[in-house]
Amino acid sequence: MLCLTIQVFAQLKTITGRVTNAEGKGISYATVAVKGTSTTVAADENGNFSIQAPPNAVLQFSASGYTSSELNIRDQAFIETRLTAGGALTEVVVTALGQTRSKAKIGYATSSFNSEEINRSSPVNPMDALAGKVPGANISRLGGPNSSTKVILRGYGVIQGGDNQPLYVIDGIPMTDARFGELDLDLLPSEHYDFGQTLADLNPNDIESISVLKGTAATSIYGSQARNGAILITTKRGRGGKLKVEYAGSVNFSMVSKLPDLQETFGQGWDATHGGTYIPENGSWGSKFDARKRVWGSIVDNSQLIKPYVFIDDNVRNFYETAVEANNSISFSGGGENTNYYFSYNNVYSNGVVPTNTDLLSRNGVALRTNSKYNNFTINSSFNYVNRKANAPFTGQGDAAGASMFEDVLQVPTDIKVTDFKDYKNKFFNVDNYFTPYAENPYYILYENRATQTSDRFFGNVDLSYRLTPEFSAQLRAGGDFANARTFAYKAVNAPKPGTWNAGNNPEGAIRKPDDGTVREGSEYIGAINGDFILRYNHSFDKITLEALAGYNYNQEQSRTVLTEITKLLIPGFYNLSNSTIKPNSTDASTKRRSMAAYGQAILGYQEQLYLTLNARNDWSSTLPINNNSFFYPGANLAWIASRTFDLSNTKVSLLKLRAGYGKTGSDPLPYLTAQSLVLGSIPIPFGSVDFPFNGVSSFRSSTQIANESLKPIITSEAEAGIEARFFKNRLGFDVTVYDKRTEGQIFAVPIAPSTGYLTLVKNIGTTQNKGIEVAADVKPVVKKDLTWTVNYTFSKNKNKVLELEGGPDYVRIPTYYNFNAEMRAYPGKPVTAIYAPVPKMTEDGKIIVNPATGLSILSDDKGFYGNADYDFMMGLTNGVAYKNWNLNFSLDYRKGGIMYSGTSELLLFTGNAYVTTYNDRRPFIIPNSVIENGVDANGKPVYVENTTPVLEADYDDYWNHGTNDQFTYKYSFIDRSFLKLRDISLSYRLPVTWASKIRSTGLMLTAYGGNFLLWTPGSNVYIDPEASNLGNDLTSQFGEYRTAPTQFHFGVSLKASF
Amino acid sequence: MKIFFKSSFLIILFFAIVLSGCKKVLDINKSPNTPGQEQATPKLVFPSAVMATAAQVGGEYAILGALWGEYATQSAFANQYRTVEQYNLNGLDFEDAYEGMYARALGNYQLIINKAREQHDWNWFLMATVMKAYTAQVLVDLYGEIPFFEALQGSGNLAPKFDDGYTIYKSLLDSIDVALGKDFAASTNTPAGKADLVFPGTGSTDIAADADWITKGNINKWKQFANTLELKMYLRMVNKKPAEAQAGIQKLYSAGANFLTEDAAVRGFKAEPGQDNPMYEQNIQGLNTSTNIRASFTLASFLQAKADPRIVYFYGSANPVSMHQGDYLNTTATYGSANTLVQRATDPVVFISAAESYFLQAEARVRYFAGADAKALYDKGVLAAFTSMGENGAPFIAAGGKYEFPTGSQEQQIEAIIVQKWISFGYGVHYLEGYFERNRTGYPRTSPVYSTESSYVPGQFVVSKNTVLPAGAFPKRIPIPNEERTGNANTPASVPLTTPVWWSL
Repeated sequence: MLCLTIQVFAQLKTITGRVTNAEGKGISYATVAVKGTSTTVAADENGNFSIQAPPNAVLQFSASGYTSSELNIRDQAFIETRLTAGGALTEVVVTALGQTRSKAKIGYATSSFNSEEINRSSPVNPMDALAGKVPGANISRLGGPNSSTKVILRGYGVIQGGDNQPLYVIDGIPMTDARFGELDLDLLPSEHYDFGQTLADLNPNDIESISVLKGTAATSIYGSQARNGAILITTKRGRGGKLKVEYAGSVNFSMVSKLPDLQETFGQGWDATHGGTYIPENGSWGSKFDARKRVWGSIVDNSQLIKPYVFIDDNVRNFYETAVEANNSISFSGGGENTNYYFSYNNVYSNGVVPTNTDLLSRNGVALRTNSKYNNFTINSSFNYVNRKANAPFTGQGDAAGASMFEDVLQVPTDIKVTDFKDYKNKFFNVDNYFTPYAENPYYILYENRATQTSDRFFGNVDLSYRLTPEFSAQLRAGGDFANARTFAYKAVNAPKPGTWNAGNNPEGAIRKPDDGTVREGSEYIGAINGDFILRYNHSFDKITLEALAGYNYNQEQSRTVLTEITKLLIPGFYNLSNSTIKPNSTDASTKRRSMAAYGQAILGYQEQLYLTLNARNDWSSTLPINNNSFFYPGANLAWIASRTFDLSNTKVSLLKLRAGYGKTGSDPLPYLTAQSLVLGSIPIPFGSVDFPFNGVSSFRSSTQIANESLKPIITSEAEAGIEARFFKNRLGFDVTVYDKRTEGQIFAVPIAPSTGYLTLVKNIGTTQNKGIEVAADVKPVVKKDLTWTVNYTFSKNKNKVLELEGGPDYVRIPTYYNFNAEMRAYPGKPVTAIYAPVPKMTEDGKIIVNPATGLSILSDDKGFYGNADYDFMMGLTNGVAYKNWNLNFSLDYRKGGIMYSGTSELLLFTGNAYVTTYNDRRPFIIPNSVIENGVDANGKPVYVENTTPVLEADYDDYWNHGTNDQFTYKYSFIDRSFLKLRDISLSYRLPVTWASKIRSTGLMLTAYGGNFLLWTPGSNVYIDPEASNLGNDLTSQFGEYRTAPTQFHFGVSLKASF
Repeated sequence: MKIFFKSSFLIILFFAIVLSGCKKVLDINKSPNTPGQEQATPKLVFPSAVMATAAQVGGEYAILGALWGEYATQSAFANQYRTVEQYNLNGLDFEDAYEGMYARALGNYQLIINKAREQHDWNWFLMATVMKAYTAQVLVDLYGEIPFFEALQGSGNLAPKFDDGYTIYKSLLDSIDVALGKDFAASTNTPAGKADLVFPGTGSTDIAADADWITKGNINKWKQFANTLELKMYLRMVNKKPAEAQAGIQKLYSAGANFLTEDAAVRGFKAEPGQDNPMYEQNIQGLNTSTNIRASFTLASFLQAKADPRIVYFYGSANPVSMHQGDYLNTTATYGSANTLVQRATDPVVFISAAESYFLQAEARVRYFAGADAKALYDKGVLAAFTSMGENGAPFIAAGGKYEFPTGSQEQQIEAIIVQKWISFGYGVHYLEGYFERNRTGYPRTSPVYSTESSYVPGQFVVSKNTVLPAGAFPKRIPIPNEERTGNANTPASVPLTTPVWWSL
């Protein structure tokens, strides 16, 4: 028997080849079959295949979206075949519940990306590859090493009581997207950690496709979790045939991108005086540079350092290093008649731009997937495990435990070289004698403090289906996603030694407060299980086709967070929770949410030209009042392929499709808002708290929030309509969608007057609207034998508006992590991202009222409107040029309008490092158009006279300081958000098969790539990349940033090989 | 088709089974992180409510008191409290303190009062009534008019009307009288033990161990606290309701009221974050600098002129470098070495001090009892004030001593009492009361010149150098916070900071 098998094999020979489209580009996963046999293989993502076939066999080639073809191989060993596009009608997309559908039947907008598009520049987080390429999606990496990525589809609808995050679905199972380690025990955390998000655990090389469903019409059958749209990720699966090995590796270099432009005229000092009394100051309010040699810094052992008084170029940039990242993936796949398998391993190792190991990342992931088929029964499974270790420096403001490195780099005066401080144990730069008691040596923080996180994540699913009859089938799918992260962070305890410079022995008598040090340990767990039971029925009547399904869903999400922190460390350098003179501070929080749902969907097709989809879903959620926990919502959409109804074959029109959809989604509240509770008695006060237990007594008090026993779900409803048209044999196409989405009954903790005895009231109020237009267009200007050029363009404009807040306050303040005086306010008639901040007091005729003593303006009683934090519009342009074996791709991302708060700017204004502080060459000036109050007239109205008090040289620091001139400096801390980025660029070379085969490879591709180069921002933004934020990845992040890490650009090379 | 209908039946059956189990499976919305409201008892809630009052009166408001009471002034090398020093406050200021007073203190006192009344537990009833009155009185004194009669009703009334300060004062005094009239021998009363943060019971919090608490225990001290608070509030009325003030005080005396002979204060603060004195926690522990507020020339010059050893308690030196009030824009090197206002992590938060009790009694004696015993009470007050700061005041009150009680006019005697009282408020972060009492009495006097002038008399108040108010004006109130204004449509139009509150000069 064995012999015979070998005999049979011997007659076969291996045929390799490539399936391409009309432009010569490989067609991913095209199917190749030997006619008349059961031998079928799939090409790889580049269209390369390898198959065993007898001589003179006929091969059949097919791929979705293309017309199938056959070819006799005769005696050839290598075959290259071109398939002609079957038009957009045969394109297949993945839709809700993991269903694969012909795009033609869908009445809503989708965007899809294949593996090659996602992996072109070897991202660590797959969503980074989509930035600027999905109309209607605001995708931004937040900046900073190992940071998270923000993904918002069709605007911010939820102001409070939920989030604006899309649902991520892997192979039909919703996955969690947590940002572990972000929390801190402070009531108003001033420091902010971003260790990245669990979404980034997925190996991008494991992804076969991503499809983005933006609207409620598309997602309503998914229920509450998909209220903000859904991102459906389909992973790679094994395909029949012999063992296939694929390798992808890249080496990537990153450097910090935009950094603030500093003023180059004035150096260290305060009140227009360099050195002297002000020698310990951390500002650049000194005199003009004169290049003379001057003493600077502390006096130690009767000696002091000397240096020329000049501006230091690239001072901050030189602090950062070039980051190196290695990203390697290998996969093995194959299968037999009944079972296919796919196994992959991925390793990412990087050391970021911050010196030392402060921003190290190491990730290891394995995936195993199987697909089996036995007659009418199929069973698919997927198991994934990821271990991740990341170090991250915190951004924001330091606290009593220790200082912030980013902040301390920015506040070094313009004439002092940051990199000099690297020798942080040197007697002039150490804790005792660092040049200022108002800041700390950033290198001390790098070397002595650390925050590290280790996480384990397992996710997977089992999917069983049984075909009862050709028309009727049942499916049971269950999946889980379990992640645990342990965060460990410490800051060193230190204090300037008595008698030293920073212990008060400096001309200002200022004392650097000792750092209490801290050890923080957190364990966070998120677990989600999800199950669906679906019955499907398909039937074709005469002219009508019916695809129907009914399903039941069970979903549970659980979280548990335990955080413990100590401060006032006893033994320096020993980092354990036992090392304190005082008791640890701990929090313990867990949540559990369950829901069940029944849903149904029917797609009716008429003569393959008109498709009507109807769906409905009812949810029962644990977070609603138990006796009123059910909610129902329907949806419908219609697709009409007009080009099939009318004969357009004599025109240039290749496709004309019109579509319309309407959908509703209900979304349940967060857990535990329905019952009144007590809270631990601790009393928050500015910059601290008085805690219980106190002096051996503990206490609980009434929560300051009034619970609501009659909460209702948030309802999002959306109408959308679109037109898709293609011309000139598909060489030109566009797709336009308009939508109007309304989010009603939002769950607010409405701030109420404190005199009620409470601070907030949980309530369903308010409707927000997001309406907009999305355009996707593509054109192929050149289609030649060896050269094709493809251009894709996207445009989106979203208009956000709060329609009403009936029963609530006049406006809602959007809380951010920091206790800013500036804030986003949701006012009816205005966008939720409207920014308000202190403004100067003005007279009725628009003159600035100033304080006669100082010449500085006076703070107005109410805050003023500064602008909208959201973009006016976004545009993306992607170009692809294929020339023989070469491929050049690049994409541009342009976002216009909107303002953002920059805490970086605020700090630089305070220290006098900012360019704008050289206004009027820092000579005295009178605030233009200013008046002073001078008594009252007969009617008791104030009388104003022209102001003659100038702002003096010595008061420039007060003029630009938020603390003393809040109402004026915000004008300079809100910066224009617009930018244009070369999002990514890549040049690939596919090695000729003849070369590749020498190393027994079926395909070899080399790519050089880069990303986030060429950042253009308006002239007014001299501070920071407007995508940077450390205020989360939801609505709050749209507010701006607070002294966050700079973003980065990168370049690298990658190699892909298949065997 | 047959199988289709068969299956439809199966689906319906399936859902019927699954969904019938729904209710139980979904009934999980009770938070495992916080106890339910029904668990509240007076003993559980009282410590937090008292701490809420202490955290504001001895925290954010104490900083205001320290600056406006001219104990301290804003450092020239920091910015934290410049707007306070400029008298440049608006609705954004003191929001946290206002929240704390209403939502963490008053709301919980009301909860305890309601529970205690239900349970006829008159110990707790009196304790919560006194603390509520104290807290509301501070709010009236700061803001003038506040929501009171319609306040603290949660969603029952989201826009409580504002009431005038005088009416609130009368109601508070009545409520104390009512609470004092309860049966303190009732068997329904329960002991507070250590949960009484002001006059902690000795020993354990166990009820049995404190069995003799009711007869021996601290409820008598609460009665003294109640009487002393009434005395203070009646004295507040002397400018605007002199007859009522007199009648009230005489009623107290004729009823044989006992007054405090020890501090009503929260003690037990430790040098630990979150366990320390609230003003220290806010101004030192939580900030990256400990030198935000420095010695004010107003008080320092007075203590120096009198060679008063308490100056060390205030500023850490017998010869401190001080700053003229509000002169923070003057960044001379001298100011760099200006002494800071000494703050101690372990300082108590005093509600009414023993010294204050004596000074209040002395003033009542001067005003309404022809000065009988006034000198003795004044002397006790001065001695208690010195003792609280670790010094001996005996030489100062002795015949010919610098603080000897004047034998002159009633007004001179009142001035001596109030000036000594002003200094005494340096103990237990009680600065706010110094600012209030000056607004009531005009003592210490206002200097006609700024303190840099040679004609300046040490200890006289000067207008802050960088004031935004009209010339010569001092602030008499602080503005109602915006969060009240935006949430409560019944908030009256804002009044200038110079408008006195109802009892003020």
